[in-house]
Amino acid sequence: MNLQFDSEHVMLRDSAEKLLASRFDFRAFQKLIDGEPGWTPELWTIFAELGWLGLPFAEEDGGSGGGATEISILMEAFGKYLVVEPYLATVVLGGGLIAALGSATERKALLEPVIAGRSRLAFAHDDADAPTTAVRRAGGYAITGAKKVVLGAPMAETLLVSARLDGTVGVFVVPSDAPGVIVRPYRMVNGERAADVDLTGVTLPARALLGGNEDAGSAIELVIHRAIAALSADAIGAIATMVRATVDYAKTRVQFGQPLASFQALQHRLVAMKVKEEEARASSRLATLALDGPPDRRLRAIAGAKAKIGRCARAVHQEAIQLHGAIGTTNELSLGAYAKRLVAYEIKFGTTREHLARYGAMIARPELAAEGLLSAAG
Amino acid sequence: MDLSLSAEDIAFRDEVRRFLASNVPDAMRRAHDLTTSFLDDPAISIHFHRALDRRGWSVPHWPVEHGGTAWTPVQHYIFDVECGRAGAPVYNSSGSHFVGPVIMHYGTAEQKAKYLPRIRSGEDHWAQGYSEPGSGSDLASLKTRADSDGDDYIVNGQKIWTTHAHKSNRIFALVRTSREGKRQAGITFLLMDLDRPGITVRPIIGNGGDHEFNEVFFDNVRTPKSGRVGEENHGWEIAKYLLEFERGGSVIAGRVRAQFAKLVRMVGARCPGDPGVLARMAEIGTDLDAMEMLGLTVLSELQTGGHPGPISSLLKLRWSEIRQSICELALDAIGDDALRWIGERPLYENLQLPQEDEETLAVTLRYLNSRAYTIMGGTSEIQTNILAKTLVGL
Repeated sequence: MNLQFDSEHVMLRDSAEKLLASRFDFRAFQKLIDGEPGWTPELWTIFAELGWLGLPFAEEDGGSGGGATEISILMEAFGKYLVVEPYLATVVLGGGLIAALGSATERKALLEPVIAGRSRLAFAHDDADAPTTAVRRAGGYAITGAKKVVLGAPMAETLLVSARLDGTVGVFVVPSDAPGVIVRPYRMVNGERAADVDLTGVTLPARALLGGNEDAGSAIELVIHRAIAALSADAIGAIATMVRATVDYAKTRVQFGQPLASFQALQHRLVAMKVKEEEARASSRLATLALDGPPDRRLRAIAGAKAKIGRCARAVHQEAIQLHGAIGTTNELSLGAYAKRLVAYEIKFGTTREHLARYGAMIARPELAAEGLLSAAG
Repeated sequence: MDLSLSAEDIAFRDEVRRFLASNVPDAMRRAHDLTTSFLDDPAISIHFHRALDRRGWSVPHWPVEHGGTAWTPVQHYIFDVECGRAGAPVYNSSGSHFVGPVIMHYGTAEQKAKYLPRIRSGEDHWAQGYSEPGSGSDLASLKTRADSDGDDYIVNGQKIWTTHAHKSNRIFALVRTSREGKRQAGITFLLMDLDRPGITVRPIIGNGGDHEFNEVFFDNVRTPKSGRVGEENHGWEIAKYLLEFERGGSVIAGRVRAQFAKLVRMVGARCPGDPGVLARMAEIGTDLDAMEMLGLTVLSELQTGGHPGPISSLLKLRWSEIRQSICELALDAIGDDALRWIGERPLYENLQLPQEDEETLAVTLRYLNSRAYTIMGGTSEIQTNILAKTLVGL
């Protein structure tokens, strides 16, 4: 067991901090998310230059072979500095699916432009109504369905679309401008961009099925787990920022002739917020490190962390607003942007309630409930 | 970063499991399962303590020169998890965790030679004389006085909430030896035998029917100065040193997880499919996971020579709450079976029912007992005050 950052982790954290802190400007952020295109291509180019877009991919695919811990370090910084660029959509979800399912040729062809920052990916997975289906046709497939909340789809050149084939599921590589594809973009509560995507008889060649794999269900699950762990680190960045902002505010805001932080009733509430930050951070790290463990422990850790951090996120953003008083309810301060980021966190990839139920079903097996967090390797 | 046990760790775990399999017989496990107090009956735990001592494991966290094991932090964690899983008794840690380290750090060579081996073997059982009727969280206001008389002190006063004083042969106490200057500057740390003339122990029975706490009265008790640890009037520093151990010194994730696994079985049997109960159970599980992870993070820092720092107050605060929430949900899960009261103690001697019925009868008693968790060892409010300074920087 080792739960400490090594020197490379610290370097990565420091370089993310340096870049994003120097660029952070809340007014500019508000303008960015209120306007079009809603992200900063120039920043994306810097991500590419820093090697962040290839971080989790194998060296033979042009990446730098980083793991979930490295991703979590970047994501925490993204949460701290309200980054809305589609890193999770492109690198963790889209890139993760290609890395997991693609053949060597596909990995090379599809990941190279992603790593270079020339193109972006989005994973169209959640179905709006009926399941999306892929019907075999001569020489390929026809895909029909409606996908909801496809993160990063407005800026993605390539969609990875999950679709049912008799009882199993495959992932199809679909250009976002392919005939039959309609992308309906919108802004989300936290300022990020997503889209609903309609697919009507989209005709694809046989090679569009990623890795030729008609049974990609478990790979999809793992990639979504990776995304939840990454997003949890993003939430930690936002939670910690809200706690720090509230503590700073309480120290400087004077009422009745003394700073708010001198009142014991408020001190105890600030401690409760900080305790939630620490617990959430521990849960996030658990989720991150469980990704490479046995599947049942991974599911337990991911569902548990999403539920636990979701609860902490809600408590922290509510208390942060309350302790700031009236100004906390406005969009004058960045506080509101963090609150909205945390609201989005709670909902994405399954709500707190859904994950709590999933965790409960796992833990109802007493032998799993009795298991500590450390386990034999592999 | 990783959460994996090394091959050596696995081998150690298996060694601990073998030890526990042969030294925690079913009767001992049952007695532990039916204990509603936070401590097991010494009549039970002493057998386990002796077995540990024979194996060289009774004071694993002590320096090797005094009988410790030189285990790594992960080995301590494994030992704790396995003890919880095996249902091994929890023995009074006043000697091994509190006064033992104090004697090692501040005691004379004679004190070390006299007391440490007897703590290690289980021969001595120590009570802690800190709180007084008028001084609970505000410890420095204590009034029990020790007046110098040649080579002895004459002690007068009263201690309260003295855990297991009725099962102990010795007591370490904070006594006032001066009323000058700051309150903290007149306190002395004193070791005494509990069979001295003038000492009276009166039981305090808890809401749950357990006899854990006592009042201890000192009426002109003559006790030798050789029992003083450190200098006269310098006991406050020692008291604070000890509190660090009390609040964060021991790892309890394994014990709480074992309680939680019991809760899961009980909920599964009593209210399967009740979404309200299942959601609360899941919340407790995620709290437990987060705290275990936080504890492991501290362990990882200790492994490389770090210090737990303010996190020990956080661990005390949240673990006590989580343990309470386990006891509380068990109460809510068993319906009107929670109404029956069993007055006789210990339960393991006074019940003879199928296992599940026996465990059900312990639920209400344990719930009532658990309300003390957030009070003893520094109340949650005091821990929060400490965290306001140390963790939040207020």
